Amino acid sequence: AGGAEGGGAEGGGAAGSGSREAVERLVRAHPVVVFMKGSPAQPLCGFSNAVVQILRLHGVEDYRAHDVLQDPDLRQGIKNYSNWPTIPQVYLNGEFVGGCDILLQMHQNGDLVEELKKLGIRSALLDAKKDQDKK
Amino acid sequence: RSFTSQTDGEARVTRVLREKFPRASAIRVVDISGGCGAMYEIHIESEDFKEKRTVQQHQMVNQALSEEIKSMHGLRIFTSTPKP
Repeated sequence: AGGAEGGGAEGGGAAGSGSREAVERLVRAHPVVVFMKGSPAQPLCGFSNAVVQILRLHGVEDYRAHDVLQDPDLRQGIKNYSNWPTIPQVYLNGEFVGGCDILLQMHQNGDLVEELKKLGIRSALLDAKKDQDKK
Repeated sequence: RSFTSQTDGEARVTRVLREKFPRASAIRVVDISGGCGAMYEIHIESEDFKEKRTVQQHQMVNQALSEEIKSMHGLRIFTSTPKP
């Protein structure tokens, strides 16, 4: 790596909030970490809102949410870290899982319940389900 | 299926995907920003996605469209493998 840096390319070694080390600390700080636009109380983007709503459906209210609109360095840094161009970004146990579309897919196919279980989180949907309707 | 005309943006994104995924069995690109080129929905079916987790499949599409994505506000990706 090194060499030419275009506009918006990663700034490299500066120990700012968007540095690899800083992002690494954030994604490892909690089993469920979300980088979004706005906050869970007030999402500022439909896709970020979708992530918040899906987590809420599963009864996951205790998670770390970072508003990238408040921190341009973090906004770029998180995209560099995951090599993923868009926000929101969901991390489970420090591992990048995907954005809103992937989380929605995981919610619909039951994968999210399983992934939460691995984190020791019991999805609220397990208690809500009365009949298992598997096709 | 009726043949509807594509926007320039849809055509360009489709062309890039055809080049980067020659094995793709189906590619569909839809401008969901009302023709403004700001947001796209991409559907792509290919053998290339076999045995890969969804996030890895999406990464492949991100890489393929890294230039085009720079001028987009957002995109939605739906990948699949061909039915046997």
